[in-house]
Amino acid sequence: MSDFSEDLLRPTAEDDPAETSVRPRSGMCLPWLQKQVESVATRGKKEKDFAQTTSACLSFIQEALLKHQWQRAAEYMHSYLQILEDSDSNKRQAAPEIIWKLGSEILYYHPKSSVETFNTFADRMKNIGVLNYLTISLQHALYLLHHGMFDDASRNLSQAETWRYGEKSSSQEALINLVQAYKGLLQYYTWSKKKKELSELDEDDYAYSTASQNMFKHSWKTSTNFSALIQTPGVWDPFVKSYVEMLEFYGDQDGAREVLTNYAYDEKFPSNPNAHVYLYNFLKREKAPREKLISVLKILYQIVPSHTLMLEFHRLLRKSDKEEHHKLGLEVLFGVLDFAGCTKNMTAWQYLAKYLRQILMGSHLAWVQEEWNSRKNWWPGFHFSSFWAKSDWKEDKALAYEKAFVAGILLGKGCRYFRYISKQDHQDLRKKFKRMKKLVKKHSIVNPGP
Amino acid sequence: MDFPSSLRPTLFMTGPLGLSDVPDTSFMCSWRDALTLPESLPQNSKNGVPHLPKGLLWEPDTPGPLPFLPPGPDPWDPGLTAQDLLFRGAPKFRRQPQAVLDVTEQFSRFLWDHGDIAFASLGKLMLENFKLEGARSYSKKKTVVSVKRILEDLGGHQPWGCPWAYFSHRQRRFSLLGDPILGKSVSNLLGELLYEELAMRWEQLLLDDAFTGGALAWLPGRTPRIRQLVYPAGGALDKLYFQEVRLTPGNDPRILGNPGHIQLRGPVRQVVTCAVQGESLLAVRSDYHCALWKVSRQGRPAPLQVLKVEKGAMGINLSPHLPGELVVCSRSGAVCLWTPHDGLQQIYKDPETLVFRDPSPWRWADFTAHPRVLTVGDRTGVKIIDTQGPPGCGLLLFRVGAEASCQKGERVLLTQYLGECGPDSLQPTLHLICTQFSLYLMDERLPLVPVLKWDHSLPSAPLLAQLLPPPRPGCARPLLLGGQGGQLQLLHITGEGASTPRLAGPPQSLPSRSDSLSAFPLLEPRSQWQLQERLQAPTIGLAATILSSSPTPVLSLFQLSAAGDVFHQRLHLREDPRLPSDPRPNCHAPTASWSPQATACCRRWLKALLEVPPAPPVWAAPTFSHRRLLSFKEQQKVEGKVPEGLRAAMAQGRLLQQRDLGLLPTAEPPPGPEPGPKDELSERLEAAWEGPMAAWWEQQQDRTSGPGRQPKRHKRRMQLSNTFSSLSGHLDLSGATSPPHSPDWTSPVSRPRSPVTLPSQELTQDLWAQGIPSERQQTLQRTLRDCTAELPPHRDTPEGATAPSSQTSSIWATPSRQQVRVLSGSQPHRKKPRMGF
Repeated sequence: MSDFSEDLLRPTAEDDPAETSVRPRSGMCLPWLQKQVESVATRGKKEKDFAQTTSACLSFIQEALLKHQWQRAAEYMHSYLQILEDSDSNKRQAAPEIIWKLGSEILYYHPKSSVETFNTFADRMKNIGVLNYLTISLQHALYLLHHGMFDDASRNLSQAETWRYGEKSSSQEALINLVQAYKGLLQYYTWSKKKKELSELDEDDYAYSTASQNMFKHSWKTSTNFSALIQTPGVWDPFVKSYVEMLEFYGDQDGAREVLTNYAYDEKFPSNPNAHVYLYNFLKREKAPREKLISVLKILYQIVPSHTLMLEFHRLLRKSDKEEHHKLGLEVLFGVLDFAGCTKNMTAWQYLAKYLRQILMGSHLAWVQEEWNSRKNWWPGFHFSSFWAKSDWKEDKALAYEKAFVAGILLGKGCRYFRYISKQDHQDLRKKFKRMKKLVKKHSIVNPGP
Repeated sequence: MDFPSSLRPTLFMTGPLGLSDVPDTSFMCSWRDALTLPESLPQNSKNGVPHLPKGLLWEPDTPGPLPFLPPGPDPWDPGLTAQDLLFRGAPKFRRQPQAVLDVTEQFSRFLWDHGDIAFASLGKLMLENFKLEGARSYSKKKTVVSVKRILEDLGGHQPWGCPWAYFSHRQRRFSLLGDPILGKSVSNLLGELLYEELAMRWEQLLLDDAFTGGALAWLPGRTPRIRQLVYPAGGALDKLYFQEVRLTPGNDPRILGNPGHIQLRGPVRQVVTCAVQGESLLAVRSDYHCALWKVSRQGRPAPLQVLKVEKGAMGINLSPHLPGELVVCSRSGAVCLWTPHDGLQQIYKDPETLVFRDPSPWRWADFTAHPRVLTVGDRTGVKIIDTQGPPGCGLLLFRVGAEASCQKGERVLLTQYLGECGPDSLQPTLHLICTQFSLYLMDERLPLVPVLKWDHSLPSAPLLAQLLPPPRPGCARPLLLGGQGGQLQLLHITGEGASTPRLAGPPQSLPSRSDSLSAFPLLEPRSQWQLQERLQAPTIGLAATILSSSPTPVLSLFQLSAAGDVFHQRLHLREDPRLPSDPRPNCHAPTASWSPQATACCRRWLKALLEVPPAPPVWAAPTFSHRRLLSFKEQQKVEGKVPEGLRAAMAQGRLLQQRDLGLLPTAEPPPGPEPGPKDELSERLEAAWEGPMAAWWEQQQDRTSGPGRQPKRHKRRMQLSNTFSSLSGHLDLSGATSPPHSPDWTSPVSRPRSPVTLPSQELTQDLWAQGIPSERQQTLQRTLRDCTAELPPHRDTPEGATAPSSQTSSIWATPSRQQVRVLSGSQPHRKKPRMGF
């Protein structure tokens, strides 16, 4: 047996045994691995008593937090602060972040905590873990802002903005940019408040000119605050929105357009539907030509075909002179109704019913057939099942009517949905139904009319 | 569909995971989510009060879940543990204790316990490669050892030195000759394979992804209050049960009638149910098969389709949009969509992982808000694919990388489509993605950027999740997250219409099954351990419902364990516990306590559990070659009942037991040690016997023998307890390892003394006999001799006929299971020279 043991251990004993054998082969890190190993290994170097105590304390705090026992968590937290004295430098360095996360959570929810307590804690923590200064400042400012303490939040951010530690790393820079952007946002709030006041003032008033001067000053400061961050890839919706609003107010349309175009079309940014929405809204305000609006929405259509703006897009396309736009208009409507969240969208069904009629009268049967081909094996079950016929009729008769018309056109009058709805007897709709049946007979793509 | 008009600021970094220079702007605080930026004007936040209730808390009625259904009739074995696989005694001089897979021990156990398998294959292997026969000649036959015979025979034998092995002189010689060759080839051939197997088992122990998604689900029943719980049970989890349950907000759920069941041919790994357009569907995944049923209004399932997945099925899901559509993925990376119209069609195939190379064959597929667009996931990411588009193309929804600020070693463990549209629901475009560290909510319209991230820090793999409807209109939706180890977390998610989804209040942990241990009465150690193991069995299914009438909404939570147990718990919602009127902040978390009904329920369940016969041990007593001997002995007429029993036992290849021998001339029991000066422990033990243990003991006694021997036994019992006290061992494991012999070991008194006096005084059991008084040592040795004295099978005399395994004897005296193995493994080495008689 002894022979075997040596041979068998060799593959593990040659290189680092623990690395090769116990870690899963995939390189996956399992947080519960250590516990399993500890339940068996006895001869390895044990953790020091202090380390054991602190890790036990940490798990008590986490447990108390998950049970919403804030008082108990606070008591444990009191003891846990000892970890800042740990002789293990790695642990000592990681400690402030953990303390901040847990401590701020306790103080946020603790019934006896107040803003003052939170402030004291945050100020202490900023200086204990210098590396976390920026993150803590930022969260502290958000906390204050949330509690309506506007000026304090602003002061906090100003302090953080000028803070430097060691060599400027890229993560530090990104955080400073973020701090500045939030500061800009606060300034924007003041600005929009002033704007509101200004709109209530008389233009000839003396106060008006000082107020407007003040506003200019703000705007200049704010733009520098925003511009650095919105160059960095990310989702910056609130910043971009306020920045553009300010630029527009001061007549810098080109600047605003540049910001928005960059935000929407820069490859490095994530594909954010809002970026396109903002650009579209801006262009709409600017009264840009229809062609331009269509090109913006076309991209949005490719990203989010279910967006609420798609119905507006359809209207634009319908009004367009180009035939390909008319075709796209049909595609857009079908695309919207493909989604589970839009199945009961009354407007979309109305548009589709109307547009189908219009298109078929314009003898573009091929367009409809092209759209229908990819959907004919699942739309009947998805939209036009007898279940939906019953429930739609019960819930929304107008919707049922539009859907029945579309079903009749696409599936013929033999389809269950159409048959069920057209059989219903309803006084107000009787006339409408009659017309519907006639139109279906004439235009249905299944059974093209004479 | 509305898209949030303004998303939360997030830094977007591309790159591999674990980049250290990325500032994590998500901060991981649960209160961060309460801090939404005021939309436009600061006046909005002037009032300062967050509009969300700060503390949504579900309060459990009892400190832990209660058993809901009686335990199944099949025994359950927890399987391997870390202790079984790892090398005790990690290498020295390590910063942290680390473990090595214990191949040596596994191997030696294997050779001992399954010598026939190990050596038979060796024999076969060698037979193939050796040309040993040569020419047949009479002269040679007498003188030359027939190697072929010996090799063929290897299968029937234990390794050298095994006390039960019949050892011929030939084999003895052969073993001496073959030792160097055999030793090497065994280690070369089997070592690597065994190591691989162990590594696989170990990985499975750390993360068993077979039950991803869960195997417990609801089916609608006859009325809205009566529903059906669908779950697998039976020892192999191969029976699918349908249990009707009546749910009322005021009372505990009630079982209605006996469950119906369907017998399947493989273990059930995942159960999915879905109600679409009034049709209920049920899909089940086994290792290599998937099946789909349509369930009628009366709750009767009618089979629709069975699919065979040759490479192994990994994940199934039912379409929430179209009735009867099912998506299946296989270990080979193929994703298939089954529709009632078009049947099965492969829509995606990629043996490689999505983002970077990862060896795991785990794959997952689910639906999205578009009925013809699916998500496909593996350990490294999740992709959205259009089934109607050109094959292979798609868009990454989630990437294990810097985009979601993933940690090093982070992997996707579960993905789930949360969509379901309703007036009060979240956007139907949300997907839940769980890794071992965090939980992400992704919106399919905004790929790669998580709209919500939360560090769940569960101590086991989160493989189960369920999004529940809001307990009240306008309330946040509870998201239930279950770890494989039984831990449960509940998060509240809000964000209807045009706002981004966010956490409403801090997440909460719910009691797990092991919290229920305190509801059970205290048991004798072995049963207590059995109960504890049962309660700690992995959770493999989760099904919850919210009953929203009554003053406070009730969350009814059912969980299924790998042992097939269904547990239930009720929780009440308490909103905003921070009432200003509450003077004592700490007291608004009143600890739930066990009601008499709850403990009675647990007691009943426990009684049923203890009546379940224990699982047959993985290890069986070794057999020895008796083929030829039996046939040889067949001709001789033997008389008497004893030899017959003996022969029957031998023919069946099992150990000889007391009953095989019938009534024997009872010899005087070996004199027990005099009860010496009493020590504290034995007194305490004696006292313990008088309690519930005594009753149990009595029961055992009744089972094994007639009432006539009672008084004697009492004395013996005292002696036994003395023995234990001097050995300071646990008794608890003894039964677990050798249940078939339990009648024997409980009454060693009735065993005849071995008349054979062996001169083997080197049988000193120095390992464990130290510190035992000499006269007691003698007794013990004698007992041991009884056990180890191997019965020469060809002798007809009944002398020394009782041969309980030495395993049993050593179990009595050794403190733990591990040591039992070590002992039995090390004894033969010492005895080696004496064994070949």
